Amino acid sequence: MSERAAILETVVAILREQCPEAGEIGPESDLVADLAIDSAAAMDLVMEVEDRYDLDIPLNELADLRTVGDLVELVARHLEGRQG
Amino acid sequence: MIRPLADHNRTLPFRVEGFRTLIEGLDYAARGETGFGFHDGRGRLVAVLTYGELAERARDLAPRLLGLGLARGDRVALVATTDPDFITLFFACQHAGLVPVPLPLPVNLGGREAYVARLAAMMRAAGARLAVAGTDFQPMLAEAAVQAGVPAALVPAEVAACPPRGRPVPFGEDDPCYIQYSSGSTSMPRGVLVTQRALVANARAIARDGLGLRPGDRCVSWLPLYHDMGLVGCCLTPTLAQIPVDYLAPTAFARRPLLWIELISRYRATISYAPTFGYELAARRAERGGDLARFDLTSWRVAGLGGEMIRPAVLDRFARIFRPAGFDPRAFVASYGLAEATLAVTFAPVGQGLRCDLVRRDDTLERARLAIPARPGEGVPVRDFVRCGRPLPGYRVEIRDEAGRALPERHVGRICIAGPSLMREYFRDPAASARVFEPDGMLDTGDLGYLVDGELVVTGRSKDLIIVGGRNIWPQDLEWAVERLSGVRAGDVAAFAAPDEEGREEVVVVVECRLADPAARARLRREVRGVVARTAGIDCRVLLVPPRSLAYTTSGKLSRATVRARWLRGELMDLDAAPPLPTVLAAPESAVEPV
Repeated sequence: MSERAAILETVVAILREQCPEAGEIGPESDLVADLAIDSAAAMDLVMEVEDRYDLDIPLNELADLRTVGDLVELVARHLEGRQG
Repeated sequence: MIRPLADHNRTLPFRVEGFRTLIEGLDYAARGETGFGFHDGRGRLVAVLTYGELAERARDLAPRLLGLGLARGDRVALVATTDPDFITLFFACQHAGLVPVPLPLPVNLGGREAYVARLAAMMRAAGARLAVAGTDFQPMLAEAAVQAGVPAALVPAEVAACPPRGRPVPFGEDDPCYIQYSSGSTSMPRGVLVTQRALVANARAIARDGLGLRPGDRCVSWLPLYHDMGLVGCCLTPTLAQIPVDYLAPTAFARRPLLWIELISRYRATISYAPTFGYELAARRAERGGDLARFDLTSWRVAGLGGEMIRPAVLDRFARIFRPAGFDPRAFVASYGLAEATLAVTFAPVGQGLRCDLVRRDDTLERARLAIPARPGEGVPVRDFVRCGRPLPGYRVEIRDEAGRALPERHVGRICIAGPSLMREYFRDPAASARVFEPDGMLDTGDLGYLVDGELVVTGRSKDLIIVGGRNIWPQDLEWAVERLSGVRAGDVAAFAAPDEEGREEVVVVVECRLADPAARARLRREVRGVVARTAGIDCRVLLVPPRSLAYTTSGKLSRATVRARWLRGELMDLDAAPPLPTVLAAPESAVEPV
């Protein structure tokens, strides 16, 4: 499994827990329109992701985040940055 | 290894009187050892800025700001991150005779576009000549600066590297201090021009009369520095009273609310403020488990409340949950204030906890606007309001009816105020300024309330304003964002806040909808929810209603209050909630009677 696929799986698992009523969750799912992540829920989500991967996601990057795929991409970029 | 922040001044006498400007207060505090501590998202101390270091750095930066070609009185927009750079630049402006304009931080997932537009509108209204933000936010700020025609958008290091020029002259007692953009909608932001005189008057009243600050007090704050409660209450007032403050960024609190509690415990803090929702977040997180006895909250003597309607039930729960940590519910202090008064107007007495006024919540309150005391168990619906205390010395609160007549106690009306820290005007907005002042010079706060034993009870904030999670959201901003969706027309949308089935405020967005296809309606519903979340970072209930369901005033203005009242009475029906009509009875859209 590629690294991104593994991140996607983790992120989806976190979202599944936070949004139990959500239907299908995939890379194209819109965090706010489909999953109803408001700003308070967003902070919960970000914290879970940060704790899981032990990284700090800067606030400014959240403003560009729209889909589950964007979040996976962001985590992957931070993990690569840490190795490189 | 960072040297910890001193928790009191060893020899410098505690002083809150006699400062004529913010810089005078800072220069005095600079002779002691206290100042500000800054913590990262995991609660680690990452920087300390003593008042002495702050004064020195601000003095060094001031001529560099002038070196950028700024003239006295020019506005400098600063993205208000909770860090030494923002605070240093804010005070450097004071030294250089420049007016700082604190700007908000983005809070919404995918909200970049809305955020940039908001910054641009504020800078345009302020006529900012320079904009500064840390490297994280500078790209968005630069984009906004271009839109607003602001000549330069820099990072703090660029300001620090600029060659100094001229001799900065600090603001005097008759000068402005800063502009606070906390009211008005995104497209029409209203900046409160706070003067030196207003600031020192309000800070003195808060420190001396409201909180009774004393040597040894220590403050912990996660409140954003672009809000009056964060900036005035937890930065400028402490400076003018030499009190140490430990900061946590608002987003660090939002992610890990218990860090707030941990810092209070770690530093034996005595004073910390939050809107009710902050206590709610901490309580909710604590309920998920963990040993709360590891915290020691016995030092916390003022658990301040302000910024939104105070919900006593939530605070009772907070007190119960944190009892094992030694939290004393008598520490709750309710207060009332607004940016137009710099910050505080009334304060409940310290050390007595929340004192409530239980009133009948029937027609007498809603229609006759009378707050009749009730006893539980009388069989009538009741509502528990919090007493926010008496006006600070030198301040006056009057409840007025629509015609401007003063109302007696227990009559609900417009809360009007007077006092030494009232703003003189919204910056460059004479029309908006004129609207909020009464003929005799009192300021109409836009809030509703009543008096009891001379104490103010707030029953509702400004009738259209939506307050969720402690943030003020202007319904127009949501409506305009929704109107830009394809298939929605201008005037088709009404947004308001109303209690849901469990009494929590929820945001309801009503959209007149001409779509016959249920799938198209589902799509629209999703788009509305998405655009509202990106604009304001909130979830909302979307109601699609037949055309001509909304109500307008005689002058053609949308009457949100009427739409809201219909919603609360159950008179607004969602197109997809209504039972399907038998085909033979299904009328063409144009004949559907507005509900």
